Amino acid sequence: MRQTAAYFLAQLKRAARLLPGQILVDLAVCVCVGALACLLVTQGAAAAEGSRYRIGMVGDLSDSYLGFGIAAVQETDDSRFMVELVPMSEQEAEEAFLRGELYAVMRVPEGLMESIIYGENDRLITYTATQGQQGLGTMVMGEITDLASTLVTCSQSAIYAMQRVLLDQGRGEETGRETDKLNLALINLVLARGGFGEVEVLGYGDGLSLELYYFSGMILLFLMLSGLLNSALFVHGNGAFSSFLKARGVGAFRQILGEYLAYLLLVTVGLAVLCLPLGFGLERGLFRIPEWEGMGAAPFLAFLPVLFPVAVLFAALQFFLFEAAEGIVNGILLQLICGIGMGYLSGYFYPSAFFPEKMQSLGAFLPSGAAARFVQAGVLGKIPAAAWGAVFLWLAVFLLLAAAVRKGRMK
Amino acid sequence: MRRGLMAGKRERQRFGCGEAARARRMGVFMEIEVTGIKKAYARKKVLMDITFSLGAGSCAAILGSNGSGKSTLLSILAGVRRADGGSFYVQGRPNETGRQADGRPARGQEETRPVPPRGTDLLRHPGQIPKVLGYVPQGDPLMEELTAWDNLRMWYDRETLKRELSEGALKLLGIDGFLKTPVRRMSGGMKKRLSIGCAVVSHPGILVLDEPSAALDPVCKENIREFLDGYRKEGGIVLMATHDAQDLELCNVCYVLKEGRLHPWRYDGDFHRLAEELCEKRGHSL
Repeated sequence: MRQTAAYFLAQLKRAARLLPGQILVDLAVCVCVGALACLLVTQGAAAAEGSRYRIGMVGDLSDSYLGFGIAAVQETDDSRFMVELVPMSEQEAEEAFLRGELYAVMRVPEGLMESIIYGENDRLITYTATQGQQGLGTMVMGEITDLASTLVTCSQSAIYAMQRVLLDQGRGEETGRETDKLNLALINLVLARGGFGEVEVLGYGDGLSLELYYFSGMILLFLMLSGLLNSALFVHGNGAFSSFLKARGVGAFRQILGEYLAYLLLVTVGLAVLCLPLGFGLERGLFRIPEWEGMGAAPFLAFLPVLFPVAVLFAALQFFLFEAAEGIVNGILLQLICGIGMGYLSGYFYPSAFFPEKMQSLGAFLPSGAAARFVQAGVLGKIPAAAWGAVFLWLAVFLLLAAAVRKGRMK
Repeated sequence: MRRGLMAGKRERQRFGCGEAARARRMGVFMEIEVTGIKKAYARKKVLMDITFSLGAGSCAAILGSNGSGKSTLLSILAGVRRADGGSFYVQGRPNETGRQADGRPARGQEETRPVPPRGTDLLRHPGQIPKVLGYVPQGDPLMEELTAWDNLRMWYDRETLKRELSEGALKLLGIDGFLKTPVRRMSGGMKKRLSIGCAVVSHPGILVLDEPSAALDPVCKENIREFLDGYRKEGGIVLMATHDAQDLELCNVCYVLKEGRLHPWRYDGDFHRLAEELCEKRGHSL
């Protein structure tokens, strides 16, 4: 045991010698990861809040009631946040569609209004979209078309029907007033449509906001890829040293333990380096996380202990990958492939809910998924025993595998 | 003067003559006995029935072509690899090892050489091996980023290290001259001496070296040979795998490892004949 401790101390000395350069590299990577995080959050927020489907409306839009209906949809309905209806000529629509500026073209057939007035309703609005597959966008567009049909055609049908009834009853002078009243009633109906149902936003990953989701995802990704930064510790590894240690009574598992603890030190320092600018940014309000709004860096500091078990797990994963790979270059490549692949599957880049169910299950099973669940639970303040168990199980698996590889190599 | 000669005569009568006798006169009684060691990698049998014994003060060379199993044999004896069969016994008297006839510690040895309990098969109890055997593998078992001092501190406590540097084996190896040098800036000879320095930490009675003079210049080789010669003369047992003709001058026993078996070889200074023997077995010509 004394020799294991001595070996660990020697490894610590090595790690300490590598630290200054290591910190510089960590800082450089922090900047890159931070930029990526900002990009993702900005894009995600735009996708969630700002971007709208632009739909060109062509055909017979001359009827005043149709124009009024479109204006009502665009100005008052909740769908205005998602859809922009742009009246344009057939030629303009075709060009814009080919340029990719339009998501779809909605064609109102000639005589639609007359058809509606006479109750024939035999003219259909045609909808041409750029995507044929049954995606989210197509589904939304289907809904929008239904909505437009319902609001525009049904409301106009109601108005024309009312006008005909009034004329038939000899109350032609009331037509204007009653039409206004019905229009107002329909507008009120449209305005109140948002209150028909209650929308509950669960958020990503057990209820985190987009910002916090990506924030934790980026920290996890950094930890996952920190093996690339800490590879210096493995540059001078040689088989002779392992054999010598074994001959001196330090077996494979004790070798791995001594080296792993030193490696963990480097990973922890890297994490600390990452946390400094993040904490500073939160304290100064340089970026905002809705859950931590107005609380400065305090919630982040409280969140840090949650990251340590994850750092311990990822350090073991990286250590195993370096041990399993032949040579430092292969080790770095393996780190990169595994880091990005596992991070992607476990939803570090995009919320895992976007993926098919089987991929979600795989992503959750992977060590990266176990880490993500652990961190997300930690942010919410309660980490279940299963999350702890998964982290420590993977930790044990990686250390034992690394020891087995070392032992096999010595044999 | 006459009393001194008489005492010398009495010692010669008691212990006999030659290197082993000289070692016994110094109080070191250590022998190794290796019997029937076997090792196979997958289906390839590398070692078959390796049997030999060496007494105190012996220096044995194991010769053989590349891939003949020399390193495998040494690493099995060092406890790094596991043999498929066989035994490895080390015998000695713990109260007398490492001490001269008058009871004083042998030169350069403040502590006695440890020996395992009688009748312990070291292949079955590899935990005993580090106490009796120092192993220097083919590469340099050193941490490149650290200095010689840091590397040695991993194995020696501070006091012992200082003592060894001032009057022990480390002084003989000349390590005190480059203590503060990081390993990555050391020459091959320095690294080899430092490796040996790390291996002799427990004053082992047996020193196993895998090609100790490979890729070293003549001066470095000579330094290392001097150390090994002194080590052997003080009762240590040196076992080395080598391809170097000059190393054989140091050895009083030579073995050739061919087709998994160890054959005694009488080295008569004709290295060319040895090379022919090895080539013949491999189907090559010189």
